[in-house]
Amino acid sequence: MSTVTIRPLLPSYRRANLNFRDRTNILLKPNYINYSIKSAPNARRFCSFKKLQKITVSSSTSTSTSPATSTDTTPVRPGDVFFKETFPLKRTHAVEGKMFVRLQKGKDEKNWQLSVGCNIPGKWILHWGVSFVGDNGSEWDQPPKKMRPPGSVSIKDYAIETPLKKLAEGDVFDQVNIDFDTRSDIAAINFVLKDEETGAWYQHRGRDFKVPLVDYLQHDGNVIGTKSTFGLWPGALGQLSKMILKADTSQSGIQDSSSESCELKQENKHLEGFYEELPIVKEIIIENTVSVSVRKCPETAKTLLNLETDLTGDVVVHWGVCRDDSKNWEIPAEPYPPETIVFKNKALRTLLQPKEGGKGCSRLFTVDEEFAGFLFVLKLNENTWLKCMENDFYIPLTSSSCLPAESVQEMLIPGKAEEATQEVSQTAYTAGIIKEIRNLVSDFSSDISRKTKSKEAQKSILLEIEKLAAEAYSIFRTTAPTFFEEAAVELEESKPPAKISPGTGTGFEILCQGFNWESHKSGRWYMELKEKATELSSLGFSVIWLPPPTESVSPEGYMPRDLYNLSSRYGNIDELKDVVNKFHDVGMKILGDVVLNHRCAHYQNQNGVWNIFGGRLNWDDRAVVADDPHFQGRGNKSSGDNFHAAPNIDHSQDFVRKDIKEWLCWLRNEIGYDGWRLDFVRGFWGGYVKDYLEATEPYFAVGEYWDSLSYTYGEMDHNQDAHRQRIIDWINAASGTAGAFDVTTKGILHSALDRCEYWRLSDEKGKPPGVVGWWPSRAVTFIENHDTGSTQGHWRFPGGREMQGYAYILTHPGTPSVFYDHIFSHYRQEIEALLSVRKRNKIHCRSRVEIVKAERDVYAAIIDEKVAMKLGPGHYEPPSGSQNWSFVTEGRDYKSNLANTRRG
Amino acid sequence: MEVSLMGNSQANVVKTGLPYRDSRVCCSYKNKIDDKVLFVNRVSFLGQNRSANLRKAQLRFCTKASVQSQPLPSDRDSGPLSSARPKSLDAVRLFVGLPLDTVSDANTVNHAKAIAAGLKALKLLGVEGVELPVWWGVAEKEAMGKYNWSGYLAVAEMVEKIGLKLHVSLCFHALKQPKIPLPDWVSQIGESQSSIFYTDQSGQQFKGCLSLAVDDLPVLHGKTPIQVYQEFCESFKSSFKPFMGTTITGISMGLGPDGELRYPSHHRLAKSSKIPGVGEFQCCDRNMLNLLQQHAEANGNPLWGLRGPHDAPSYDESPNSNSFFKDNGGSWESPYGDFFLSWYSSQLISHGNCLLSLASSTFGETGVSIYGKIPLIHSWYKTRSHPSELTAGFYNTAKRDGYAAVAEMFAKNSCKMILPGMDLSDEHQPRESFSSPESLLAQIRTACNKHGVEVSGQNSSVTGAPGGFEQMKKNLFGENVVDLFTYQRMGAYFFSPEHFPSFTKFVRNLNQLELHGDDLPVEEEVTESVHTNANMNIQVQAA
Repeated sequence: MSTVTIRPLLPSYRRANLNFRDRTNILLKPNYINYSIKSAPNARRFCSFKKLQKITVSSSTSTSTSPATSTDTTPVRPGDVFFKETFPLKRTHAVEGKMFVRLQKGKDEKNWQLSVGCNIPGKWILHWGVSFVGDNGSEWDQPPKKMRPPGSVSIKDYAIETPLKKLAEGDVFDQVNIDFDTRSDIAAINFVLKDEETGAWYQHRGRDFKVPLVDYLQHDGNVIGTKSTFGLWPGALGQLSKMILKADTSQSGIQDSSSESCELKQENKHLEGFYEELPIVKEIIIENTVSVSVRKCPETAKTLLNLETDLTGDVVVHWGVCRDDSKNWEIPAEPYPPETIVFKNKALRTLLQPKEGGKGCSRLFTVDEEFAGFLFVLKLNENTWLKCMENDFYIPLTSSSCLPAESVQEMLIPGKAEEATQEVSQTAYTAGIIKEIRNLVSDFSSDISRKTKSKEAQKSILLEIEKLAAEAYSIFRTTAPTFFEEAAVELEESKPPAKISPGTGTGFEILCQGFNWESHKSGRWYMELKEKATELSSLGFSVIWLPPPTESVSPEGYMPRDLYNLSSRYGNIDELKDVVNKFHDVGMKILGDVVLNHRCAHYQNQNGVWNIFGGRLNWDDRAVVADDPHFQGRGNKSSGDNFHAAPNIDHSQDFVRKDIKEWLCWLRNEIGYDGWRLDFVRGFWGGYVKDYLEATEPYFAVGEYWDSLSYTYGEMDHNQDAHRQRIIDWINAASGTAGAFDVTTKGILHSALDRCEYWRLSDEKGKPPGVVGWWPSRAVTFIENHDTGSTQGHWRFPGGREMQGYAYILTHPGTPSVFYDHIFSHYRQEIEALLSVRKRNKIHCRSRVEIVKAERDVYAAIIDEKVAMKLGPGHYEPPSGSQNWSFVTEGRDYKSNLANTRRG
Repeated sequence: MEVSLMGNSQANVVKTGLPYRDSRVCCSYKNKIDDKVLFVNRVSFLGQNRSANLRKAQLRFCTKASVQSQPLPSDRDSGPLSSARPKSLDAVRLFVGLPLDTVSDANTVNHAKAIAAGLKALKLLGVEGVELPVWWGVAEKEAMGKYNWSGYLAVAEMVEKIGLKLHVSLCFHALKQPKIPLPDWVSQIGESQSSIFYTDQSGQQFKGCLSLAVDDLPVLHGKTPIQVYQEFCESFKSSFKPFMGTTITGISMGLGPDGELRYPSHHRLAKSSKIPGVGEFQCCDRNMLNLLQQHAEANGNPLWGLRGPHDAPSYDESPNSNSFFKDNGGSWESPYGDFFLSWYSSQLISHGNCLLSLASSTFGETGVSIYGKIPLIHSWYKTRSHPSELTAGFYNTAKRDGYAAVAEMFAKNSCKMILPGMDLSDEHQPRESFSSPESLLAQIRTACNKHGVEVSGQNSSVTGAPGGFEQMKKNLFGENVVDLFTYQRMGAYFFSPEHFPSFTKFVRNLNQLELHGDDLPVEEEVTESVHTNANMNIQVQAA
């Protein structure tokens, strides 16, 4: 093995790889969950945190970590923090599960079915191809079109990728079924299983799975489903592939046969069904951080070191101090922090204190000034230690040792090296190939009969090239946003889009959220709102979003119980019909707020757990997802995030979906709802939403997919592509049948307006940085709703900036939604003016926006070449050229102008 | 010894039937004879294991080939084999451009993993090196004289480790897509002092680079742009000293918009129209007008120095929409036209001269070659007045060769010329644009030949011009000698299944790595030895 000098890449490069998962709480004030249902009406928001995946912790965990941030090296004044560093902590956990391969007869003797499934949650892809009768080689071919299950994608000309899905039968497995005709000349189906999340491949004995369809196919060890027992080899997959074959069972299945498969007669085919299960292990990386800050306490001549981590549970710091760079552990003199024990006279062990609020823990350490360094490792349990790159964490305690940055640099290097390791190892891998090939070349011989061997070497290089290219492609492709390119459509649709689709309505919709968090209080909201119908319509709104109508455990309606009981705190069913009719009369459409993710139970099961439903939809615990232990559901695992305050409904169950569709259709017909606002759609797969929407054919639908934006040290990142991608992914899963609230845009507006950072309003490609920049027709822009604002204020829009927010969303593409509280406030006139600008200029959800300026203190854009707008205190005038602009409206720090004439 | 795998040596391997020492494992493959023979493969263990750890990778090779590791006898390489190489093998050095935003404005490497994998693929493919755009707006982003090369150094290191060469393009312009602006402090100066930018007849500014008229004016905090460029180059040189002449073999000096020696005459073209307009003269900023005024007075025609041509069409318009470019009797042929065009084009050439001599003197002793890029403005080439070239600053018409002076200027500075558009063919241009990329390319190359300027090629279309690869091959073979060819550009499309196989084929064709009939794979019986040891269970995919 060639030695590799590991040279670190640069710190700035390193920094890009930080993981911010645990910083999400900066954004949202968590409501701690109280599992008594009635008292936790708002707890649903808790799920906005990105959860770590639930996993069973295996006994051995490999750990690694590396320092992450640059060190503050400004001159030290007494008492100043002179060292502050956040180290990521990485652990690998193994999730155990199994996959199965099943070959069975289909509807008749001629049609058979191969199924492959896996019960570990994840995005599984079956990468497969076939071998034809008469093929001696190992090459794959693409299967005939009719064999390909829906959703299959061709990979080059030799393979197919088909995603595994949960079938409706209520299986815990994600699976894919391949139907084939035994009369075809397919000799075998080959496949590997791929985990899209980790990029890992799962093979069988280090090679592709192979299911022979002719019984004398040459066996070469990777055949599955023969009469022989099923065998697996461990370790065939690289550790970086995150996938380990767990069991090493017998290998008696191997029959090395070199028998030629010659002319095959189809009648020789004899298939035998089988079902095999294989244990598999998926490794998941869990990332946490530990931050250390050091300052001098001039009064006591001590060094104060504060150690904080977001690890939870009992975290023990195993620590010592050292006097010089040799890093020899010493135990300092007492006193020690509370809950400290001396461990074998070599080190101290201090239990970290849980932080207030329960997220993570911390401890302050006091060390005499004489010591040069603080050494530690973190211990989670007997088997899990967290170290810094297999080394102890080393924190310099003297300001001088970090001032020249050299010692710090030294400390940083392992981290960087770690980051570079993979790069380097790959480099070395390639270098290895190059070297081997060189050797092949040098192994000069005149033996021409061996010519083909060099051919083969060449072929393996080309294979390698192709692999590398595929790898590069997959990264480039995923780092570039994947969204529907609307540009082409936009051109065609600059005139009013004729077709109405539930994702967009007509394209000219303007939403009004017709309630706030207090609306239930009067008990007659429907009647109060009815009075405002004419007014709202005349303001220019085309759609009103009504509060959730069902009987609910919480007065606001988001904890529904009996779905067919439409008596709520907002009014009874007749009043509801009344208000719906009224809005229809004034020409507006009505969105029903439907909560499909969870439902409160009527009865307890034998264990006293509330999971039995009553009313017309008297489901039992099979309708509840299995993975929330508090509700002991017997359904499948949730297809999305769980909302912990009520039983989450298992949409993978046929009867559940059938009932929901019926209910939605009933709402459509009986009440007259035109469309839906879908609550908490993070909780279940978007594909089910598509199912519901197709069954109910709404005029407009919008889903609430709310999770946190990404932040670095409390400051929002400029690039929120990952955040909007998650929303786009959901819309994609729903096949674009619904729009989604553009949470990304709201978040970016917060930072841009509040901190005078208007540059944030342009992404790297000069487009709007939210969902509206990528898929405008499906983005429902808003600045506030009943959760973020109103009396809850979970994520309130910066005070006083609301009109700038509206100036943005009401002039930009996307479908804007205006919050009730803002309409009936002192902002009313300004909002009215902006609504009228939008209507008069026929700005619609696909309007084109050209960002003219996105600087520190000013943002300016021209929409559809008709409306120029600017935000911020900075200066901007629309181009004077051949266009005349007339001023339309203006407020505090925003302005919008209209083009009078367009360039001819 | 450096071996480029798919290039020279590998070709020889095939031709001379070099064997490698086989052990137990071998492959059988389909007997496909088409060009895709090497790419009809499948997912195999080899690939899945690529991210596996080194040890396994090593083992795989050990298993497979009983690797010999004695050094290569040097005479093998330089023996008769070498002389048998086709000429083009040595003649064309192929580079591939890295993504424009390889280094982000925060000096981090974008898509580092993808680039790392891509570099390896290119290395294996036998590509000589990569081209890296180095942006003024990234490296000197914050303040004048405050350089941050860290991102670029990281890339250089990656490239060096892989064993590729690096061609650096110093970019003193801004880019819209992806958005790479000028340095912040330059933009700020521009806010208050807009005359540092080019301005067209209607007063619209082009803020993508500085106007050549301020080259020698102390507009940047008391320094002239030339001084600032010079210091940038000096800083680059000292920061990249370890790479100079070894990994870095060439440096392109940014000369204007898109790095090309030209005026930004076409920057406001509507994207919708298929037929490019003639563009506009960019001489209406205060400093350009001053120069024009001086020149006019020196020529005894002070009135000619008041403004640019009054009868030139605007950006999107065709030559005949106004009288300046009319094929017959257009003002371009008048004494005024000649006066103006001579001045306009000579300004550009002296700007180029200034920057290239700066680059030559700065990098002269580092062992790297210096390049400058010329645009290939091929629309309206078949008209008499060549309006698009005129507005861009090349006084090239049916009556006058505008490129001789340019080539001469390159020769004087011992610089090589980068010519884009080697993938463009006449037949794929819209008829109405009177375009001829091929003839223009030929004209420029003739001028270069005459003055002994070496030409290096590029393709223009990043998403693949129709027939592009064929055209490139045509341009690289035959009598056309090309110093190197830079293929633009690495990214998602480049590695996509639609594109990468054709690129590979292009590279192989470029190196004339055609297989002889008897080199084609034969069906082979497969034997396999099965290892029970997990770590040994690593083999090339066997049938």
